[in-house]
Amino acid sequence: MFDFLIHVSIMASLYAVLALSLNLQLGIAGLVNFGQILLFGAGAYGAAFAFSNQLGLAAGIGAGLALAVCVGLLFARLGRGLGGDYWGIATLAVAEACRMLLQTGGDLTGGAQGISGLPPLFEAGSRQDAALMTLGVCLAFLAAVYWLCRSLTHSRYGLSLKILREEPQLAVSLGYNPNALRTQVLVLSSMIAAVGGVIFAHYISFVGPDQIVAAETFLIWAMVIVGGVGNHFGVILGAVLMQFLFAFVPFAKDLLDMPSDYVAAMRLALVGGGLLIFLLWRPQGLVRERIGGGHRGG
Amino acid sequence: MIKIENIIAGYGDGPNILHGINLQASKGEIVTILGPNGCGKSTLLKCIAGFVKPRGGAVVLNDTDVTPVPANEKVRKHRMGYVPQSDNIFPSLTVAENILMGARFLPQATRAVALKRQFVAYPSLADKATRKASALSGGERQLLSLARALVAEPSVLLLDEPSAGLSPAMVHEVFVAIEEIRNSTGMCIVMVEQNAFEALSVADRAYILALGQVALEGCAADLIADPAMRHLYLGGDPEATTSSA
Repeated sequence: MFDFLIHVSIMASLYAVLALSLNLQLGIAGLVNFGQILLFGAGAYGAAFAFSNQLGLAAGIGAGLALAVCVGLLFARLGRGLGGDYWGIATLAVAEACRMLLQTGGDLTGGAQGISGLPPLFEAGSRQDAALMTLGVCLAFLAAVYWLCRSLTHSRYGLSLKILREEPQLAVSLGYNPNALRTQVLVLSSMIAAVGGVIFAHYISFVGPDQIVAAETFLIWAMVIVGGVGNHFGVILGAVLMQFLFAFVPFAKDLLDMPSDYVAAMRLALVGGGLLIFLLWRPQGLVRERIGGGHRGG
Repeated sequence: MIKIENIIAGYGDGPNILHGINLQASKGEIVTILGPNGCGKSTLLKCIAGFVKPRGGAVVLNDTDVTPVPANEKVRKHRMGYVPQSDNIFPSLTVAENILMGARFLPQATRAVALKRQFVAYPSLADKATRKASALSGGERQLLSLARALVAEPSVLLLDEPSAGLSPAMVHEVFVAIEEIRNSTGMCIVMVEQNAFEALSVADRAYILALGQVALEGCAADLIADPAMRHLYLGGDPEATTSSA
């Protein structure tokens, strides 16, 4: 049970990082990105490509970051020609197209079988010690990302992103460059998600196209909406809550004496139901966003 | 200071809305653009500000052709201030934060001084500095948008219907504020207005548009007395009133 709890905590931390990365785009800059999971996948595949070429963790992080930044820049470029919802659909299309490419990529990507055998982050000591150390890394990374997102949001730069979200034309009339701001926030979010992907790849020891399906993006969206769009603490809360609920679905299945096939369906119902409940009755999420008042630096 | 040469403009694939507009405004001058609904007043202002890309003609600012320059660059590099007609404040920010949003490109050390200067100019805003802008009245919101545009000390100020939706008393207050800005800064102000007579009372010169063309132009004091202006402004036939004031 202890190992299981550690595993769930690691996954919850990584999902929280992904949710924070999406929250920077959606909650702060108002970017409706439906291709978020591709940024995470870029990090994971970067680590896998480095491993395939007998390169170490540092090279994996570098490759993951480079791939994710390329995807982020591609998304930003699409945003210059497409507005709002259309951009969101385009990001989903790009993410799905990339997943199909990875699935048919042959030896380079491992195709549908993916790339396996990535070494764990910590090899010394027992398996439980390694998992605990991985959890420590995940929590430290989550804390750093939370601090970064919070500092950014409370700075004048964060305020610029928020006014771009709320009154884009007014922001332009004050001299703000929406394309530059969107590109910067997308690149930063991409890098955060990519590092999460690298850690995930080494923790699971396997990278495959099934890890970057569109349903994963919507799970991250559900975490952000349930936690509170625009509130970083809320988003972490949403990610942890949903991840632990997901983890305990199999126990609920046993309690209710349901067939194993129902586990996936119950998880989907949790995502869909959670989204509906919050969108209808508590659209601000568990923790409401605080806008304006008290931003540093004028 | 600002010169509009033969501007032709429209939206998307639609027909032209502006058909070769010429306009000029000098330093220390208030120039108002009047005309019936749909005549292209706001489109012309958006062309000058850079929000609408003209299909032809040129926008010249201080002898520099700024036609292809995007709106945000005009604010940063050419010191152009623009106050849109609606949604011109950030309701969720405080009054002080709203003003400071316009001071982003000022050096950090001068921002506080610039903010204080706006509060001296608009004491009614100073009293509400820490309140959310959403709590302000319509007139105060307009003053706030003016203060925010002025905080960066632009050389040209573009105002899109600054009196829209205000009570008659507030309309007067806003126009007094605009005149005061010109008198104290010597700024060039180009203002689109529906409130023709109030606008002409503070303006030096005016251009009256009809169907995307300049139907009348001249000294504001002369235009007030011109019966053709009243006829045109109320939506009359421009063919019948093309005499220049």
